[in-house]
Amino acid sequence: MTLNRNKLYSIMFIACLAGYIWLYFGLTTNDTENNSVEVCIIKHTTNIPCPSCGSTRSVMSLTKGNFIEALLINPLGYIVAIIMFLSPLWIVIDIATKKKTLFEFYQKIEIKLKKPQYAIPLILLVIFNWIWNITKGL
Amino acid sequence: MEAQKVDMFIMSNSKFFESHQINVIRERLIALDDSKWAMISTVQLKDPTTSLIISILAGSLGIDRFMIGDTGLGVGKLLTCGGLGIWAIIDWFMIQGATREKNMQKIQQFLY
Repeated sequence: MTLNRNKLYSIMFIACLAGYIWLYFGLTTNDTENNSVEVCIIKHTTNIPCPSCGSTRSVMSLTKGNFIEALLINPLGYIVAIIMFLSPLWIVIDIATKKKTLFEFYQKIEIKLKKPQYAIPLILLVIFNWIWNITKGL
Repeated sequence: MEAQKVDMFIMSNSKFFESHQINVIRERLIALDDSKWAMISTVQLKDPTTSLIISILAGSLGIDRFMIGDTGLGVGKLLTCGGLGIWAIIDWFMIQGATREKNMQKIQQFLY
């Protein structure tokens, strides 16, 4: 499964589509019911929230304009929201102009993330966020 | 290279590659110069079984993808709780093939 331009774009597009459908269901189901359906395997098996648990709730409060609440629920929601917002636009522009700027950007980021000076701080950040998630009891 | 050497390499490393790739690798190795043997025999390959174990245990954190070098997909899996749990399950079945493909990519730079 070597990743090429079209494969990456279809994966990202499907992921974004699934994300939007998921968000739509999250927003339309009644808030007074006890939270939306939780699908996280880790949370179901161990009862401990995973690093990205709560990002749905975070993105949902972002769409309602509660920026501070979103940050308090899970800061990763911001990253998810930015990716979900930007990548479909970027894919459409790339396909329309027959370029592969997003693919090149993705590869550049991938190489950067593999370097220890970027990887180690990011891993620590994710772990701290995880600890915070557990203490918050998401 | 001598056929005996190549066959020895194939026998000890066949689990790292897809079955349909092994014939190509064998032919390429036989055509290859002897001076590349040292590099070929010491190349570090990832074990598909290890990545399967990691995928089952920590798949929804994307660690399996990080391990085989798909950092971008790993970040995607990490941020979405393993693709809402669905991608994590799909990867239980995909990760071995993905690891073998990665191994093939790694050895290809010596073959050509």
